[in-house]
Parts: sequence; C-alpha cells; structure tokens
Amino acid sequence: MAAKLGDWLDERLAWRQVWETIFLRNIPKVNWWYTLGSATLFLGINQLVTGILLTIYYVPTPDHAYDSVHYITTQVPAGWLIRGLHHWGASAMVVFTAIHMLRVIMQGAYKFPREVTWFTGVGLLVVVVGFGFTGYLLPWDQKAYWATQVGTRIAGTPPLIGDWVLEVVRGGEDISAVTLARFFGAHVWIFPAALLLLISVHMYLVVRHGISAPPNREE
Amino acid sequence: MKEKRRLDRREFMSIATFGIGGLISAIMGIPAIAYILGPVLRKTETEEWIRLGSVSKVELGVPTLFKAKLERQTGWIITEKELSVYILTDNGRDFVAMSNLCTHLGCRVRWIGDQETFFCPCHNASFDQAGEVLDGPPPAPLDRFEVKVEEDQIYVFGG
Repeated sequence: MAAKLGDWLDERLAWRQVWETIFLRNIPKVNWWYTLGSATLFLGINQLVTGILLTIYYVPTPDHAYDSVHYITTQVPAGWLIRGLHHWGASAMVVFTAIHMLRVIMQGAYKFPREVTWFTGVGLLVVVVGFGFTGYLLPWDQKAYWATQVGTRIAGTPPLIGDWVLEVVRGGEDISAVTLARFFGAHVWIFPAALLLLISVHMYLVVRHGISAPPNREE
Repeated sequence: MKEKRRLDRREFMSIATFGIGGLISAIMGIPAIAYILGPVLRKTETEEWIRLGSVSKVELGVPTLFKAKLERQTGWIITEKELSVYILTDNGRDFVAMSNLCTHLGCRVRWIGDQETFFCPCHNASFDQAGEVLDGPPPAPLDRFEVKVEEDQIYVFGG
C-alpha cells in the first residue's frame, strides 16, 4: 500500500530522485567536524518550532511582555521546557555556527567552487547574531533592558551616522514600547525570512557541489 | 532451512536515523501539544462561596441588591468582576438569591419598588418578586444562586 502510494507520487513528483540527490549522495571520507552544519540546522529547526510555540502566549508590549513570559514559564504546561529549549538553543546556535565557520576556514573548504556557499554562510552568521540581539530584549526584564541599552549604544558609535543609527534601531531616542515592538518584528519576521532565504541557497549549494574532502598533504 | 536475514550497514543506519529522529520528534511533540492545550484544560471559572454582606440589610418582602467584587485571572491578567445578586426573604430565615441578569439577552434588571416588579430596560420585560416572568421575551425565570447564612452574613455559591 505504502509502496503503491510512493510509486504513484514518484511518477508525478519524482520525489525519489530528490531524496537520492539530497540524502543518498556520495561524500568523501570525513570526520565528526563535518557534522557541525547539520547540527546548526537541527538547532535552527528547534528555534523555529519553539519560537512559533512561544508566540502563542508572548505579547510584545511593555505592560505584558514580562508577565506573559512569566506566565509561560510558571503556568503553561511544559512552558518552562519550550522556553528553555529556545533560550539554550539560541546560545548553542551561536556557538555551533561559529565552530562550523572555523572548521570551514581551517580546512580551506571555502575555496573554488564553494565561495558563494561561504558568502551565504557569512550572511547566516550575521542573521544568527541578529536573532540573538533582538531576542535578548523580548523578556523585558532588567537584564534585557540594560543589555539592549548597551547594545544599541554600540550601534550608535560610528562617526557621522551614529546618532541616526541609534534612533533607527531604538525607534526613537530611548528604549521604549516602539523598541520592543520593532525588535519583536525583526525577531519573528525579518530575520526568519532572511534565514530561510540564505539557508535555501546555502543548502542548495552544499548539495550541488558536495562537501569538500579534508585537505591532503600529498596532493 | 530458513535463511537468517542479516541487517546490512546501510539498513542499520537508516533505521537508527529514523528511530532517533522519531524519538526526538516525540520528545518535542508531546510537550508541544500539552503546551498548546494547557489553558484550555485548566478550569478558570471556579465556583465558590461568595460573601455578600450582613443579613440585617435585607428588608422583609423586598428584593435587596447586594454587590460583590470577584478577582478573576485570565492568562497573566487579573481582572475584577462585579457580581450583583438580589436577596429576597419573607420571614428573615429563608432566603432566595436571584441573579440580576435578564434571562433573555443578559441585560441587568432593576427592582421597581412601586410596581413590585423587576424591569429589564432592553426589551421591556418584567419579572415578579420571585423572579417569574410576567411580561416580555425572557424564556425563563431569573437564575437563582445557592444561598446560606453564617454568623449573620449572607453567602451565595457562584463564580
């Protein structure tokens, strides 16, 4: 029955070819360091799922943000788990993205023909850091507020345009309801859109070129 | 003789991948369902004995209005809700507690002393002293609460 359905779909979608291209492709003899990209992808999916779940209860306004987060953590069944996974997953994601990048640098995996994979990877690193920065404000507690105070000040340090950048990031002169709302908007719409776009290209290229073999001294 | 089928490496890896993947999905999926359904399963409207006030305020044979403030929590927001109850007694011992909400569409009824009726301003309905419908669209008499008196205080059971 399942095989019949599989055949029926395959005649119309050619899904077996897609499956083989993605999952049954040949790879060189590699080691555990080569799993970091997949590990980061797994963490990204974790962030996506738990993040969507958090928006069911979270409200991004100064009078409700802290209380709704508190409600998630203490009242909602498994709320502590969902929030915990999102919180720790976020830190893990930054760490794994960075180690993944280091592996690519050290083994020269960014070289021809994989430069564009590298470019999109750099874009992804920026997006991940953006996620971290905007997500940090959302609980709206003292740590969030002051960390964003410091972070946005740093954004305001460039000469000439600094003051303007600071106001754009904060949505005004001070951190306010406007700041919280735009950080939330960036966190759940702008960065996810950028992430999906960049990941699509990144992974297409990984499949297209295959992964590079570890460099060999004798070659 | 039956030949023993051995699992080759590829098959083992495939089963392990799907097995571990399914396990992780279940570990994340089951709490996710509990998380979404949590507030639905929780009982928010808890009924309890609510103190209205002193028995001495009730006039014999005249429905007397009592108001009580109730705190209700929905999500992380605590709201105050007002409960209004008409108390009627003919002998000072047996009490009847009636809701002031019209059974038609939930407007608030008012006791009109000179006409001896409860009057609902929304569709000109009227009820008698005991809450029975006299005139207008309401389909049922005024709702009643369970009532008790303890140490000269009147309590109704509701929420």
